[in-house]
Amino acid sequence: MDFKNSLPMYLIGGALILFIIAQSLFFLIKAWKRGKELGLSSATLRSTVTTSVLFTIAPAIAILTTVISLAGALGLVLPWVRLSVIGNLSYETVAATAAMEALDHAGGMAVEVTDQTLFATIAWVMTVGSIFPLLLLPIVAKPIQKKLNTAVAKSKSDLPDILAAAAFIGLIGAFIARAIAGSGKDEIIGDGAGVLSIITLVSAIVISLILETICKKAKAKWMQPFVMPLSMFLAMGIAVVAFNLLPPELALLEWRG
Amino acid sequence: MKKQRPYLDRVHTWGRISSLTTLCVMLMFPAAICLYLNVWPSFHDVFSGLIKIIPLFWTTAVIEVVSYTPVLGAGGTYLSFVTGNITNLKLPCGLNAMESANVKANSEEGEVVSTIAIATSAITTTLILAVGVLLFSPVLPHITAEGSLFAPAFQQVVPALFGALGAGYFIKHWRISILPIVVMVVVLVFSGGIPTGTLVPIGVVVSLLGAFGMFKLGWVGSKKTDAAAE
Repeated sequence: MDFKNSLPMYLIGGALILFIIAQSLFFLIKAWKRGKELGLSSATLRSTVTTSVLFTIAPAIAILTTVISLAGALGLVLPWVRLSVIGNLSYETVAATAAMEALDHAGGMAVEVTDQTLFATIAWVMTVGSIFPLLLLPIVAKPIQKKLNTAVAKSKSDLPDILAAAAFIGLIGAFIARAIAGSGKDEIIGDGAGVLSIITLVSAIVISLILETICKKAKAKWMQPFVMPLSMFLAMGIAVVAFNLLPPELALLEWRG
Repeated sequence: MKKQRPYLDRVHTWGRISSLTTLCVMLMFPAAICLYLNVWPSFHDVFSGLIKIIPLFWTTAVIEVVSYTPVLGAGGTYLSFVTGNITNLKLPCGLNAMESANVKANSEEGEVVSTIAIATSAITTTLILAVGVLLFSPVLPHITAEGSLFAPAFQQVVPALFGALGAGYFIKHWRISILPIVVMVVVLVFSGGIPTGTLVPIGVVVSLLGAFGMFKLGWVGSKKTDAAAE
């Protein structure tokens, strides 16, 4: 049995997941009681729950896709835990890749990790890299909330929104740029930029924009959350089709190695 | 009812306890893996991985904490940061719920609705992930194995993921997007093997400086983003 997906790994992961669910339930119950005290109707509170469940399904499937995609290299349990606690769709791939690069794991995410020490190192890097907000929040959340709550409500500037978007674009942009012009190791398929990475990237973007437009035109707000996961799956499907339809020398062409 | 501290103060106390316990429990996770596998990675190796992501992740953490706290409410903020996936899930979910329930973000009703929404979302995500992982565990080795029909899909997962995730952002903020992507492609043309961990901070810094410059020049900002706002 692969050590990454063994029973003890599942038990360790399961314990953490239960801990997270318990916390969420605690906050849910406390807020629900407070809502009643404030005079919010049961109907409002119930519909908040229903809306949120529906809203969550599609992004959660996208997160599940990330878990599964990371699982090729890291097994299921580590990505599962990392994306259930603190984790984030885009950061976890960055963190795992950084750890692999630090230890010269050739091929990055495209190659399975079989070395136990490397695996443990990746687990440490992914964890420690992500925990900072939990150190920060207990100290700053209360003062921020008290002061900024009023300031932000009054402020008209959208600089904070723009900077948040810019930081995010810089982060995703690195992966986009790699798919266009990054070089990989010669012996590994799918590591460097090439025909297949461009086809996949362009498909993902185009499909996502088409779906986005359909949503707007058809005023189908319910469809919005499905745009991202659907585009991703379809682009991966197109990669499979392109790989099988194109002549091998073209499908495997990676201009940067 | 006996006299209690204000609800918000109690939420902050619970939130602090929750953040700190999660912090400890989370650190026990890699420790448990080490105990189970009986391998102990060197501090040097862990550090050399961390040094590539900490400058970015920890700075982003500060920005996120500062920018999301006022919007998500106290309970929502603590829970969001504990369970993660804020930008792509908890934040839009919380905002969506407050809009549907017709309550303001900085009212106590908003606080309650946001907390319920984010808690529900966290539980739903956790369950979907758990069920998905259990369902996929038997088939996974077959679909990712080299030579399998689906192997190319998994080899190209990064472009698919980031293309789908980025498309909306690039269109909405196309002025901001062009500069960092062009700069990074140029960097890669000259140094194709530059690790992603090094490329990401370059991209973020270029993007932030570019966006700030454009804001100062009036290219992006108030009226221009209004039309495109979510």
